[in-house]
Amino acid sequence: MLIKRKNGQAGATRLQAAAAGLAAGAVDRRSFLRRSGLTAGALAAAGSIQLGAVRKAQAAGSSAVSPEVVVKKNICTHCSVGCTVTAEVLNGVWVGQEPSWNSPINRGTHCAKGAAIRELVTSDRRLKYPLKLVGGEWKRISWEDAINEIGDKLTAVREKNGADSVYWLGSAKFTNEAAYLFRKFGAFWGTNSVDHQARICHSTTVAGVANTWGYGAQTNSYNDIRNAKTMIIMGGNPAEAHPISMQHILAGKELNRANMIVIDPRFTRTAAHATDYVRIRPGTDIPVMWGLLWHIFENGWEDKEFIRQRVYAMEDVRKEVAKWPPDEVERVSGAPGAQLRRIAEMFAKEKPATLIWCMGATQHTVGTANVRAFCMLCLATGNVGKPGTGANIFRGHTNVQGATDLGLDVTTLPLYYGLVEGAWRHWARVWEVEYEWLQSRFDEVPAIAGRKARTRKENMETPGITSTRWFDGVDLPPDQIDQRSPLRAMVVFGHGGNTVTRIPEAIEGMRNLELLVVADPHPTTFAALNARQDNTYLLPICTSLEMNGSRTASNRSLQWGEQVVKPAFESKNDYETLYLLAKKLGFAESMFKNIKVENNVPSAEDVLREINRGGWSTGYCGQSPERLKAHMKNQSKFDLVTLRAPKDDPEVGGDYYGLPWPCWGKPEIRHPGTAILYNTNLNVREGGGTFRARFGTERKGVTLLAEDSYSKGSDLTDGYPEFTMAVFKKLGWDKDLTPEEMAVIQKIGGDKIDAVSWANDLSGGIQRVCLDHGVSPYGNGKARANAWNLPDPVPVHREPIYSPRPDLVAKYPTRPDERQFRMPNIGFTVQKEVVERNVVRDFPLILTSGRLVEYEGGGEETRSNQWLAELQQDMFVEINPADASARGIRDGQFVWVDGPEAKAKVKVKAMITERVGKGTVFMPFHFSGWYEGEDMRRFYPKGADPVVLGESVNTITTYGYDPVTAMQEPKATLCQIRTA
Amino acid sequence: MRSGLKLLSTLLVAVTLVAGPVAVGVALAQEPMQAGQNPTGQDPTADAVNEELLFKHESTIRGVVSIPDKRAGNLIQPQGREYRAFHERWLPWIAAVVILGMIVVLAAFLLIKGRMKSPRSAEKIKRYNVLERFTHWMTAACFIVLALSGLNYIFGKRLLMPLIGPDAFGTASQLAKYSHVYLAWPFMLGILLMLALWVKDNIPNRVDWAWLKAGGGVLGGHAHAGRFNAGQKVIFWMVIGFGLAMGFTGIALLFPFTLAGIHGMQLMQVVHASIGALFIAGIILHIYTGTVGIEGSFAAMGKGEVDLAWARAHHDLWVEEQQAKAAGGAHLGHPQPAE
Amino acid sequence: MARMKFLCDADRCIECNACVTACKNEHEVPWGINRRRVVTLNDGRPGERSVSMACMHCTDAPCAAVCPVNCFYTTADAVVLHSKDICIGCGYCFYACPFGAPQYPRIGNFGSRGKMDKCTYCTGGPEPDFSVAEYEKYGSNRLAEGKLPLCAEMCSTKSLLAGDGEMIAAIYKQRVIKRGYGSGAWGWKTAYRETVTI
Repeated sequence: MLIKRKNGQAGATRLQAAAAGLAAGAVDRRSFLRRSGLTAGALAAAGSIQLGAVRKAQAAGSSAVSPEVVVKKNICTHCSVGCTVTAEVLNGVWVGQEPSWNSPINRGTHCAKGAAIRELVTSDRRLKYPLKLVGGEWKRISWEDAINEIGDKLTAVREKNGADSVYWLGSAKFTNEAAYLFRKFGAFWGTNSVDHQARICHSTTVAGVANTWGYGAQTNSYNDIRNAKTMIIMGGNPAEAHPISMQHILAGKELNRANMIVIDPRFTRTAAHATDYVRIRPGTDIPVMWGLLWHIFENGWEDKEFIRQRVYAMEDVRKEVAKWPPDEVERVSGAPGAQLRRIAEMFAKEKPATLIWCMGATQHTVGTANVRAFCMLCLATGNVGKPGTGANIFRGHTNVQGATDLGLDVTTLPLYYGLVEGAWRHWARVWEVEYEWLQSRFDEVPAIAGRKARTRKENMETPGITSTRWFDGVDLPPDQIDQRSPLRAMVVFGHGGNTVTRIPEAIEGMRNLELLVVADPHPTTFAALNARQDNTYLLPICTSLEMNGSRTASNRSLQWGEQVVKPAFESKNDYETLYLLAKKLGFAESMFKNIKVENNVPSAEDVLREINRGGWSTGYCGQSPERLKAHMKNQSKFDLVTLRAPKDDPEVGGDYYGLPWPCWGKPEIRHPGTAILYNTNLNVREGGGTFRARFGTERKGVTLLAEDSYSKGSDLTDGYPEFTMAVFKKLGWDKDLTPEEMAVIQKIGGDKIDAVSWANDLSGGIQRVCLDHGVSPYGNGKARANAWNLPDPVPVHREPIYSPRPDLVAKYPTRPDERQFRMPNIGFTVQKEVVERNVVRDFPLILTSGRLVEYEGGGEETRSNQWLAELQQDMFVEINPADASARGIRDGQFVWVDGPEAKAKVKVKAMITERVGKGTVFMPFHFSGWYEGEDMRRFYPKGADPVVLGESVNTITTYGYDPVTAMQEPKATLCQIRTA
Repeated sequence: MRSGLKLLSTLLVAVTLVAGPVAVGVALAQEPMQAGQNPTGQDPTADAVNEELLFKHESTIRGVVSIPDKRAGNLIQPQGREYRAFHERWLPWIAAVVILGMIVVLAAFLLIKGRMKSPRSAEKIKRYNVLERFTHWMTAACFIVLALSGLNYIFGKRLLMPLIGPDAFGTASQLAKYSHVYLAWPFMLGILLMLALWVKDNIPNRVDWAWLKAGGGVLGGHAHAGRFNAGQKVIFWMVIGFGLAMGFTGIALLFPFTLAGIHGMQLMQVVHASIGALFIAGIILHIYTGTVGIEGSFAAMGKGEVDLAWARAHHDLWVEEQQAKAAGGAHLGHPQPAE
Repeated sequence: MARMKFLCDADRCIECNACVTACKNEHEVPWGINRRRVVTLNDGRPGERSVSMACMHCTDAPCAAVCPVNCFYTTADAVVLHSKDICIGCGYCFYACPFGAPQYPRIGNFGSRGKMDKCTYCTGGPEPDFSVAEYEKYGSNRLAEGKLPLCAEMCSTKSLLAGDGEMIAAIYKQRVIKRGYGSGAWGWKTAYRETVTI
């Protein structure tokens, strides 16, 4: 009786119909089902979600006759896989989302976050206008007043306490261009205390991996995992953290019938799909890795030829590994020897094999050593530099790779040039400012507590304070902080306040700041902690989907995202905000000298061109905005597995998707990018490469250059150092340089022309000539099994600061106390106290933290997205049935989780599950808005509170910092649980 | 007899439906992993989990969901089939047979035996006060609407919809549903009031046994009875019993899943519908005896007064009691008969 | 005509919930209504499997059979739809559904359970295709645009398949043969009284 007729309305489209409704003022997409009486209750449940609808209706109502649907492509902001988002826009309103079939990375798919991303932009639970805290109340102010007041206060703080007293916290959600501008801003302000989320996710990876073979990034790509025959996923849960990567992982597993081994304390959603699962104790990655290598060395499964040709000092690792026979590995980590033997054999023999890791490996006091040990497994088995192999490091945010590359790091200027004078001079040339002027912006540091004074130049070359310890930079006695003054002000862009461990102390830090500025689409935890009464500003920033710019995915591919809709409400993008601040502080003109600025908005394309002009060291020089846009337009042409376009394509012929860095030379020479790092089976011109000769040519008489190994088509058939004019002259290649190139080189080098290198030759000539000769501009070196410049040159197991095994601490203690990043790191003292006070008696459960698929990072964005928030409405703790029954805990009830420091506690729901083993508990890290049992919702600016609030796990996480990067240690600490 | 059959079939369905909930909480197919045990060495992707295997252990496949609605954790619950079979195959027939059967039996009875005559006199006696009559008629009115709207759930689509078309039927059914759920409350109040007002006169006693043996006077001979005869007591207890059952199951249906899970809800609906049909048949009998069946009986609820001679014929013991009370001068519960 | 079905390859499903939010996004489904959900079996143990479930658009659908007002109908593509104009929100379809698909908004007091809502296979409802009324009541109509349900189109691991039953069964078969394992087409026996044999 009710038979559907399909013939009517043939020409119309769904969106036009929706638009007709919008235009008539009758309905909008949100009024869905209202006539069926659906929405009233739902609205009550979700709180008021009306405003967005009104805005949309207004926007669409302005011009309604035969509206045109515009399709815009941007990149999902929620992890580093780099999924393309295809948006349908109507009259400036984002009305629909379609699968991005053409993207070789996500091929139409999304995870919960990507599939809900439209709500991130259209939701009204955002900061709508600038706010200022006056006597504990949020007051609306204008942008103009906000910038003026902030600028005046910053200037006052600077005059009184110096440039280093202001902390600049950037964001992994920045575009590359915004990240670059932020770092440049820090340089112009005169401080190196410019950091972002990479500090707490993969800073240890970057340091550890770069110190091994040259660059600290994923060596291969998500797509390339399809080639693997064996994969180990250790300390990562891609099913929840990088769901789209699982498409490639599972495809590899299915098509190659590959071994998929998950090594993790938790039986994760990823482990559910594994062919082998090894449960280990949190914080014992090195013993497990050495345990695997023990079997490999014992049985002679290592790739001896690879090691001879391309690895330096593997014997040193062998010596350390010998200390880890199976019984010791099992005693320390719980991983059984027989299983490890089987896995070791697979990894060494069923090749290509790849090792995938994430924050389970990095967030430890031994984070850098962990990832170094992981690299050793790849090196020993020859699993680097080929398809299907490599260290596949999955990073966290859309552009955490790019933001790291572009220098949101306290130890370097953009693109890993470091902080040495040469680096400053290089960037001064690119920026066309005087080096001396930059130097004048920095503080002179007086001698403090027996430490010697620093000149401006020395201070300019000293790493800043890390984001993990910003509050120590406020709270510690001034004589312990190695700069002119402790931190007095903080400017935070796109960064949650709940991402650092030891939140009770962070709150103290917030109280003691003279000024706090939070620029974000959401108020963030900083607003909700009720730590401040005045001198606090919230600046509404648009989401990254509302701005143009490039993003670098984990696999080093750059993708150009175009603005989907104009910034909502009064929000502004990062470029404009930075420009306005720079203008107020008086250096906009020189900072934006070569960048077109229209209506206060700097052009993203021009910023990228400036990056291209200076980005030689990392091969950020070939990815011009034009090329990146052509890639987005021609997405469908790239191969799913190799990521390469056919050579005959007129626009993107031969390119790898997104021109993964290094993309050598100027854009005009059309280097295709490097999809797989260190791949000697390809010509450098075609994306091949060698290990980077970054650490010299020899050490103690032993060569650091590759032996009998070189990339395909190389004119040099052995190892070689990085290319400088001196090397060029020796080889006679300087004659290949054009006069124009020589002129630039001469200008840079002056009387020291021999020192001009592939990394600071602004002409690109050296790189061009290198490509012509088929050699890697950075040289052809060996990967280092012994990284002598690191605190532990060969990774050594060290128990977590809060070790559950005091018996092991004596044998495997953490490193001695030391000063790092301008502050003391007293891990050793704390660990000693933990043992002496027998903390494990009162806090016997191991606490580890991690990610949920529905949320991301500090969670403010995603918990404000009603479609996602509905799926995870409560903060919880996973607890094993045995531990729960021993404490009389029922599933779903509230419990107190007590931390061992500062009497901190959190009230969360118990989830009794065998995902965690006995003695281990797990909490997700995305929640905030409750503090020690108190609901803080009232402290949010009205209407901008997230839908779901909960306790932050970091309220109870504890002390502990990696000596190389000051990474915190939330993955292995202690706690106790009791019913609430 | 028929009632017995119906009850049996209802019970059978009920048993099959209950089988599900009983199994709740039984562990899933696999042996639970020992707490803290390292599940190493096992192949986590072993094909241990498939539908057939799970169904061998339990009738419903359940798991966990992250949303608060834990019912959503039921992945596949084929029990809906039994529910559907009962609801579509049996229920319409059961209801039709019971209700139409009752009408047919009564019509036959009326044809064969005719109306039951009662003696007449000039005197009246007060039988029900205002509160009693209000309660009766409020409940009765609600019942009629509930019965009709309830029958619409079973027969509407089969009988009414073809006549008036889907749209009109949809509107009518929506109204019927609203009246059903709103009038349920005064109805339930009426049931409780009836219980309070009349329970003491409805406690079964030896007189009822004699009344029943005498066939309630229908088969000839005189049957003694108090305020309510055994037949009326059966109706009373049916109304109370069925009324409470309908109320309980009805409330469970009004607030879905607050009292029961999915299988419980299926059971509630089955019980509600089955008892509803029986209830309607019983009330038809009641209406028959109160109107057409027995001359003069309608006046009792209609006007509150009955003919004294009628009363003596049907409720002789009650009349005696009333008159004795009147003579004694002290009466509380019942008004003075108008003599 | 095609016989539209869903098939969730549980050996691919990672419980990422993209299907759930894609559905919300496409149809603006309000809070509390879950047209699709992901259920995890054996949570946290070896043999853990997740399955995405919504209305399976059964052959001889039980919901349609028990509906007291006959508001259900089956399209030429074998998609089971219903009319919200006729639905009275009685809840019987939920009792009969083997998959827990029907959803009801709870709006206010007793008895005012709203009209049933469920997965439409992105096919709208009885109103004219692409009409505003259709969109308001049932959400968008992708099938009429020549597109498949967004949940399946956006599935992160291509676990959830949608399309003609025979075609998706063939894809699934091929997958199982290639990789050597498969836990079967969940719910097919119950919904279609047939299964994918490999």
